[in-house]
Amino acid sequence: MKRLLSIAASGALALTASTTVHAEDKLGAGITMYFQMGGNPGDGATLPRTNGARAAAAAFGLSLKEQYSGWQPETMLSQFREALAASPGCIEIMGHPGSDAFASLVADAEKRNIIITSGNSPLTKLKDQYSASGFGYAGVDLYEGGKLTAQKMIEYGGLKKGDQALEYGLRAQAERGKSDQGLYDTLVAAGLKVDYIEISPEVDHDSSLAVPIITAYLLKHPNLKAIGTQHGNVTAFIGKALKDAGRKPGEVTVGGIDLSPSTIDGLKKGYISVSLDQQLYLQGFLPVVQCVLSKKYGLTGLTINTGAGVVTPKSIGALVPLIDKGIR
Amino acid sequence: MPDSTAVLTRDEAAFRHIVRLERVDMTFGRVQSLSQVDFEVGRNEIVGLIGDNGAGKSTLIKIISGVLRPTAGTVWVRDKRVDPSSYSVRLAHDLRIETVHQGLSLGEQQPLWRNLFVGRQIVGRFGFIDVKQEKAIANQLLRQAIGFRSQGITADSTVRDLSGGERQGIAIARAMHFEADLIVLDEPTTALAVNEVRKVLAFVEGVKTGGRACIYIEHNLAHVHEVADRLVILDRGRVVRNLKKGEVSLAELTNQMIALHEGNADGHA
Amino acid sequence: MATPESLRARLLRIEGLPINAVLLILVAVFMLVAPEVFLSYRIYMSFLANVPPLLVLAAGLTLLIAAGEIDLSFPSIVALSGWVLGYCIHDLHAPWLGLVLALAAGALVGFLNGVLVARVGIPSIIATLATQFLWGGLTTVLSQGLSYSLSDVDELFVWTLFVGRIGPLPVQCLWALGVAICLWFVLNRRRFGEHLLFIGDNVKVAEIVGVNPKREKTRAFVLMGVLAAFASVLLTLENQNFFNTQGGGYLLEVMAAVFIGGTSVFGGKASVVGTVAGSFIIVMVEAGIVATGLQGFWVRAVVGVVFLAAVVGHLFIQGPQKATTRRRLLHGKLGLNKGGEP
Repeated sequence: MKRLLSIAASGALALTASTTVHAEDKLGAGITMYFQMGGNPGDGATLPRTNGARAAAAAFGLSLKEQYSGWQPETMLSQFREALAASPGCIEIMGHPGSDAFASLVADAEKRNIIITSGNSPLTKLKDQYSASGFGYAGVDLYEGGKLTAQKMIEYGGLKKGDQALEYGLRAQAERGKSDQGLYDTLVAAGLKVDYIEISPEVDHDSSLAVPIITAYLLKHPNLKAIGTQHGNVTAFIGKALKDAGRKPGEVTVGGIDLSPSTIDGLKKGYISVSLDQQLYLQGFLPVVQCVLSKKYGLTGLTINTGAGVVTPKSIGALVPLIDKGIR
Repeated sequence: MPDSTAVLTRDEAAFRHIVRLERVDMTFGRVQSLSQVDFEVGRNEIVGLIGDNGAGKSTLIKIISGVLRPTAGTVWVRDKRVDPSSYSVRLAHDLRIETVHQGLSLGEQQPLWRNLFVGRQIVGRFGFIDVKQEKAIANQLLRQAIGFRSQGITADSTVRDLSGGERQGIAIARAMHFEADLIVLDEPTTALAVNEVRKVLAFVEGVKTGGRACIYIEHNLAHVHEVADRLVILDRGRVVRNLKKGEVSLAELTNQMIALHEGNADGHA
Repeated sequence: MATPESLRARLLRIEGLPINAVLLILVAVFMLVAPEVFLSYRIYMSFLANVPPLLVLAAGLTLLIAAGEIDLSFPSIVALSGWVLGYCIHDLHAPWLGLVLALAAGALVGFLNGVLVARVGIPSIIATLATQFLWGGLTTVLSQGLSYSLSDVDELFVWTLFVGRIGPLPVQCLWALGVAICLWFVLNRRRFGEHLLFIGDNVKVAEIVGVNPKREKTRAFVLMGVLAAFASVLLTLENQNFFNTQGGGYLLEVMAAVFIGGTSVFGGKASVVGTVAGSFIIVMVEAGIVATGLQGFWVRAVVGVVFLAAVVGHLFIQGPQKATTRRRLLHGKLGLNKGGEP
């Protein structure tokens, strides 16, 4: 028994020695980064980001500290203060609380030479102020994302002036609502007659509850040509509502966001016409890169738009294996 | 008068005391409700249990009726030792001991028929409650029950719609219907009118003539003095007096009770 | 002091009549204002596909509330059982095993709730709030945050059996109806149900008349757990998806359905029929308002009004002695009434 233990001990020592050697080689070794992931651990809009950040951290040898705020701005602020107290090398934040709320806290952090960068939702004022010290942005411009979705809906759906459309969204929420606003404004600008319904908190959480609502709307408006939303889970259920209302795939042009399993299904079957791909993986990966490069070499903050495209029934096939792994 | 011994086996028929408590203690946390209580009821005896508030009378009968388990001591039913861990309200009912508790023994929001039969519902095939039969019997009992003056109360009426006297009447009717060998009455006349009180006293006497036993708790000394074969006085958890009928007059009894009460008043911190 | 049985009293004794009347009036109003929606069978089929999980949850909760307890953990049971079923179908290709294990998981969670409440003595609102977090978190860990797509499940018999279609009719509504009928019998024609009512009415009285509150409460929690799991099965199969956050949106709606239906929050008085009507009202209201073209922002306000009106209506119907009775009931719950004390 004693002999076994001593063999095991020396083996462990050797292993540690070798990994230590490896770790010292990596660019991000010795750097700690606090990272705001956004939602709740594992949920659809958070998981790819988490996986991206972890992959980058492993590649660079950086120590990643994950934070989850359930999309609550106040929680994001208090978690930032927690991060500050730990004096890490970098902190990644999101724009939900707004530049003004963050201003003094970020100023404090910058004074202490902590690199601050952002993702998912922009903090334009702060970014411009501190870009020289590495303040970047990796995300979608929410408004632009909604706009792009609408543009693609018009393009692929052949929507014309005077067509009836519905936007089902969260305009009441200051930050998230911007994407719905973008979608709505773009459809209106193209001359469509756009109606709006607010998503209730219950539907926000259990989006299957949206089905009777959308079904009722569809039955009431038999001439509806388009439905747009920027809510990931609701996107998944619009196909079901169309089926319940007796509509065939393609009769109504549907624009949504993200790539949850049901949305993929909807794309494959043709009920969903376009879905905005935020490429959340990049929103996790790139801020880590930003941190390492700015910390080591003083490089400036980079602004990268990760939501440059939509997924359609044609392009979905190639993405499915990656989605299953939680990367796309 | 039917011979009550005929339905019992020879063993059961041969008991002396329907219920007996031997050196029973009851403690709740730091409060000693009963101390070393010896209490017995003969098979055909009316025992009046009297004492001040807080003397422990309700606790005593809760032990007899299976609601509480004594902290120490033994309980005997029909001269057979009772296993404290298995004694329960249901078992007490099976042993033909019925209790009319003071105040709370009816579900306020429940209909009368349900209150009558809860704990011993009439079940038909597959264990479904035979509501029709329960209601029929309930309606029958209502007609004979004590305290029912107003019209319009049926088996479907909710307890909350009844007056205090009517509720007491239901509790008594419940105990009467299930024909016990020992019936325990805790303050059965508090909410009743004079003529209704007469009915209760007549019922108690009827228990005696029927060959059965009764424990009767009352604040009104005149009532209990009139019907009891024996009077047991409880004071601060102990049995302090055990008087046979005729051993003491109502006046003397009253004086003794007052003396005890004043003794309590002095003794209290 | 009781009044003679008037026509009003006799009508009110038909269980659930008032709330069903409200439901029918609501439907009539929607038919008038949005005939293209509410005169077609399609919207009703959509309701019948969506009401069942809510209904099964609400019916189970009705019995628990009758006993004077509450369960806030059922959304997490929906999530956990959904994961069990989803995993078994998606990874193990064993749907029937998944069904059995999902129900077992619900029973287990329910049993733990029962032990915490009945034996350890934690108030149910706190105990189930805690287990809500526990099991919800566990589900996230087990699922690694991923949702499962079960898009092929509609080819399996288990799907057809529970959520298939007979013509346009969703089969789950038959299952939900069956559950509701069984629970009605349990509450009104079984000893277990009567015991729950007495426990909810006044636990001290229940003890006096020979009910074992600990055992019966535990049973009620286990039953709720199994029903929540079954609701999850219906939900997961219908959605052909497992979302690891599923169930969360049902918490308030299920409770609203129960109380709109006339079950008393104090316990001792409950109606399964009322809960059925309440469930339909909840699901219908939002769809109906959308169909009438009323601004979507109004929906929650309208649900609030309907809820308040229903609750006040139920109180009003019970007659003039309400205030004192309610106080007495509350005191009974807290053990402050005379006569029950040692």
